[in-house]
Amino acid sequence: MQKDNISRRSFLRLIGWGSFFAATGISVAGALRFLFPRVLFEKPSAFKISVPAEFKGGPDYQVFENWKAEHSVWLVRERNRIYAVHAKCTHLGCTPNWFPDEGIFKCPCHGSQFHKNGMNFAGPAPRPLDRLNIAIDDDGNIVIDKSRVYTFKEFDKQGAYVEV
Amino acid sequence: MWRFKHSQIYKSIFRHGYEDTKENRIRQIRSNIFLHVHPAKIPEHAMKIRFTWCMGGITFFLFLVETVTGILLMFYYRPVPEYAYLDIKYLEFDVPFGVVLRNLHRWAAHLMVITIMLHMLRVFLTGSYKPPREFNWVVGVTLLVLTFLLSFTGYLLPWDQLAYWAITVGTNMVRSMPVIGHEGPFAVVDKYHDVRFMLLGGTEIGGNALLRFYVLHIMALPSAALIFIGVHFWRIRKDGGISRPL
Amino acid sequence: MNKQERKYVFPDLAFMEFLTAVALTIILIVWALLANAPLMEIASPARSENPSKAPWYFVGLQELLVYFDPWMAGVIIPMIIIICLAVIPYLDRNPHGSGGYSLSLRKFAVINFIFGFSMWAILIFIGYFFRGPNWQIYLPWESWEQVKDLEENLWSLNPVIGLIFIAAYFCLFMILPGMIKKDFHKRYGPIRYVIVMLALASMYFVPVKIFLRLAFGIKYVLVTPWFNV
Repeated sequence: MQKDNISRRSFLRLIGWGSFFAATGISVAGALRFLFPRVLFEKPSAFKISVPAEFKGGPDYQVFENWKAEHSVWLVRERNRIYAVHAKCTHLGCTPNWFPDEGIFKCPCHGSQFHKNGMNFAGPAPRPLDRLNIAIDDDGNIVIDKSRVYTFKEFDKQGAYVEV
Repeated sequence: MWRFKHSQIYKSIFRHGYEDTKENRIRQIRSNIFLHVHPAKIPEHAMKIRFTWCMGGITFFLFLVETVTGILLMFYYRPVPEYAYLDIKYLEFDVPFGVVLRNLHRWAAHLMVITIMLHMLRVFLTGSYKPPREFNWVVGVTLLVLTFLLSFTGYLLPWDQLAYWAITVGTNMVRSMPVIGHEGPFAVVDKYHDVRFMLLGGTEIGGNALLRFYVLHIMALPSAALIFIGVHFWRIRKDGGISRPL
Repeated sequence: MNKQERKYVFPDLAFMEFLTAVALTIILIVWALLANAPLMEIASPARSENPSKAPWYFVGLQELLVYFDPWMAGVIIPMIIIICLAVIPYLDRNPHGSGGYSLSLRKFAVINFIFGFSMWAILIFIGYFFRGPNWQIYLPWESWEQVKDLEENLWSLNPVIGLIFIAAYFCLFMILPGMIKKDFHKRYGPIRYVIVMLALASMYFVPVKIFLRLAFGIKYVLVTPWFNV
């Protein structure tokens, strides 16, 4: 009898504390989930620029800065391909600057430097500048989609460049 | 004046005059909630500036300065990207004494970081973290971290280039945090669910980030700091008062 | 507790505090009248400031970014510092020197603490006063207009050699104190001893890494597929 009594008490204690901590845990998890909204009101990730023919001619390597201010993107034309370089240092996300005379990108925050094609050669940046999805739509315009990012190893994948 | 000091109203608030007797001096401390933080009597060496540097007290005073100036600044500041910078300009160029209040808030914050570091140095050099005061040292370290976080969250609020890029660099470090940052080693989350997203309320520094930093800066962190300050002061008394040579 | 002269808090201490508060208020108001808090142009995601400096108390960490990966400089090192600071009272078993300035009684603790504290201050000093555009070294009187181009040739140690180096470095910290002072470890016990030495080894690794970088151009001592140190 005595033994029964104790075990009932310890059972109820377990239930009591168990439900207390379960409820607390669920509340904390709910509060954490609360911090991650479902919808974000950020700028649309894709934008359109003119036709690839406009980038024909000129020297082998050319860096176009026209879309940097608004979209943080450089368009780089190599001999026969165009790609979109994300103007965001791979170190800590500062916006690098393009120095046409020297032909390099320099990051002002911690001194990372990149060649014209985005390859890092100095400073703390761990990898070359990322590239963004680039494609030609039905009207023949170049469309850049910033939501798909290509890192160093994916530069030759389809979508990371367009041929001209 | 004499009549005022002997009126019922005055005596109901300040029960004790300045009569210089031992009993009265103890009463003056014990009957006042603000002075009652102190014991009635303390060891002589604890009053020496060369022992305490007064740094803990100064840090607390600066916390009060931050609270008062911060509350006043809140009357004009709106934590929205469209307005935040303009409100600071408004404070600087139009609101009477607005620029002085902003300067006070900023400089006192810088000074507070210095004084809290010096306080820690003093407490270490005097060995005041040794038993039985171990736990209060931990509370102090927590307050140090809170002070840094308060300074950091406040840094974004003016929404100028200085603020924006300092916070960009700061929060991008979090991006590469192990496990819970999406670019860090052993990452288990993507960029929409990592710890940086939680801090910024988005993938970039924008309106949500400004609002979150604001709420942390004016409400969450000061409340936490206030609680820990209370514990810190209370524990000084309960751990046997200010440290003394054994 | 030995008998000590005790003083009444009122008015002796209460008025000292009051006067300190008044003096500090005067200092702050004069400061606020003389110097304006900095405010640059409105935030613009497209254009980074050059250089973009963190608030001064974090510039020391930003300076470390030159030598360590962001997750080390920005996350791991600060976390180690905070945790180590918090556990100091539980690691320091030296019963002497409580409640007074006594370098002679606790040389080991004081010297190491002052070292860490100074490192914090010196890194801030360098980062704040000696770093210019592109985070390159500019002496305070040098013009930031002057372009400095630094072609760095950095290399990393072979992973095996790196691992041996790191292991040897940490082992050195485990063994050396015992060699210098025979009964050193006895005060701590094995677990505390290992924690203290790991913490100290980590702290001194920062200047070691800075030296390796500046003297030999070593980018990483240890390269692994997951992280680099």
